Amino acid sequence: MATLNANSQSSAFNWRALTGYLPFIVFILMLGYLAVSAPQLLTTDSLDLILRQSVPTVVVCLGLAVVVIAGGDDVVAGGIDLSIPAAAVLAAAIMADQLTNHGTAFLPALSMAMGAAVIVGLVNAFLVVKVAMTPLLATLATSVATVGITKVVTSSRRINVDHPTIVSLRDNELGGLSVGVLLTLLLVLIFYFAVHRSKWGMSLQAVGGNRDAAELSGISVNRMLAQSFILASVAGGLASVFVLARGSGSSPGSEESLLLEMILATFLGAAFSPRRVVTLWGAVLGAVLVTALSIGFKSIGVNVFWTGCIKGALILLVVASAALATSKD
Amino acid sequence: MNTFFKTFTGIVVGATALVASVTATAGDHLSLEGKKVGIAVVGTQHFWDREAFNGAVDTVKKLGGEVVPVDGGRDNQVHADNHDILLTNKVDAVISILGDGAVEPKFEALKNAGIPVFTVDHSSPHAVNNTTSDNYYMGTTIGRYMADSIGGKGRVAIFNAFEGALRICGIRAGLWKYVMQDYPGIEVIQPELAEAFANAPEDARKKTLDFLNQNPKGTVDAIHVGCWDQPAIGIVQALEEAGRTEIKVTALDGGPETLEIMAEENSPFVANVAQQPNVIGSTAAMNVARHFHGETLLPQTYVDVMPVNGPEEAKAVYEKLGYGTLK
Repeated sequence: MATLNANSQSSAFNWRALTGYLPFIVFILMLGYLAVSAPQLLTTDSLDLILRQSVPTVVVCLGLAVVVIAGGDDVVAGGIDLSIPAAAVLAAAIMADQLTNHGTAFLPALSMAMGAAVIVGLVNAFLVVKVAMTPLLATLATSVATVGITKVVTSSRRINVDHPTIVSLRDNELGGLSVGVLLTLLLVLIFYFAVHRSKWGMSLQAVGGNRDAAELSGISVNRMLAQSFILASVAGGLASVFVLARGSGSSPGSEESLLLEMILATFLGAAFSPRRVVTLWGAVLGAVLVTALSIGFKSIGVNVFWTGCIKGALILLVVASAALATSKD
Repeated sequence: MNTFFKTFTGIVVGATALVASVTATAGDHLSLEGKKVGIAVVGTQHFWDREAFNGAVDTVKKLGGEVVPVDGGRDNQVHADNHDILLTNKVDAVISILGDGAVEPKFEALKNAGIPVFTVDHSSPHAVNNTTSDNYYMGTTIGRYMADSIGGKGRVAIFNAFEGALRICGIRAGLWKYVMQDYPGIEVIQPELAEAFANAPEDARKKTLDFLNQNPKGTVDAIHVGCWDQPAIGIVQALEEAGRTEIKVTALDGGPETLEIMAEENSPFVANVAQQPNVIGSTAAMNVARHFHGETLLPQTYVDVMPVNGPEEAKAVYEKLGYGTLK
């Protein structure tokens, strides 16, 4: 009987391990297929394009990765922040409005935008830590409210931006790489050192790993959780600059596709880590690969509705396999 | 007088025949053989976008060209980004259908790479040519029709999200307002309403219901949509739900689904100006071929529109544009 149990556990373990790698395998197969069907994807022009288009997604993914690392990667009860894209788009709208309609200088406009994004993070932190709401619902609510405020700021209208700083982020290159890509790389490194190389980051990971143990070792769990939401909103605020550069202005509704790509990229990233947990590098790589997939599908002429359908199915696969791989029975 | 009339008629008939024969043979020498033409469309959910896209695709293929299609899924950002894909695909020319300011730097990049850009409904300094409807006529005509439908006075609301973002909408809504200046009895309700670019009918339905709650019966005479007519579908639904069908609805585009609503008995949707999106897309493709043939194109090519005033004209235009027959 004991042997039987041991056998069943071992086979269950292997099955779970395989499930965890499934999204990774499916993704690699898809990218392989795209590279064969559209060889132009492997040119430096295309790779440059993939990096440039992935920038806003990479930056919001940094924020989500921090929240998931602190809150644990249980999709329902763990850490999640659905409001980062909405905060990014609100910040972009405020900055566009200030730069274009009020003639505000870049830094004051950026400060106002960052301020608004951080308020979203503070509200999330309050709802999750003080009111003890589920992060999923709390951040869904703030996301909806933030989109509403964005509509008030912009009257649901597009605002064009031709501020030289934004234009140079979009067009200028340094050593063959876009300035936007380089700045994003710098942000990734800063976030990496904060989360994976600093004492604060160790505490953050400890909270995400086991809250009780973290509390016993003297870490203030609530403070770490609150800080994770605030840092996520800072990432959202910073993403706004890249959202503006990418779109040459702010457009209502751009948070929707950003949200989809952020979730897909961050949880797909978990499939790349050895322990299949959400990591910063995984999220960044996930964001780049999701963009590569979008561009690849378009390059081989896949209908845009199918692209949406495939992305939805991938999210399901990623989240379901994470749930199965970490399930206890 | 009689001789003059005959001579005049003769000249007109002769000129018309000449124009007709030139038009008939105009395309014969054109070819896109061996050319790869990228066609970027903002979306294919709506009739107008889809038809303009189909018109361009069919004509490029008919002229022997290869089509590289990209669809923005009714998202202006995705649409703009799709132009980068056409650039890396090294197409010979790009036809770009609609799009907001986000496409401008993409057009510039294509132009700098030596790829000529032909736009549909989007004037751009970086494009060789823009094919569009006569937006000036559309804006003034719908203004007159709307004013007439409410007896030249009353309070009207306008859905006008894109006047500042798309030049064609600036022309249409701007000229509608120009006409309104001559009707001192008409008050345009402020603030203006703003429709969504995606899921417009449902979005406009909700916004109209909210608007009607704030503006009780007897205080609104018409609702106009400044640049297109997908929101009008939702507006009519909201008016019917709220029992406020005394409010007149006017809009622009005149696709089959809105002409059908106009043709219904006692429809509040009273006026429209119908475009020919398939002809527009096809003309843009012909212009690409003309460009490669060495012809000099004017900055704008205008395609005829058909004014639609009331249900009977809706039925007639529906038939004339080949959408079928309405009873």
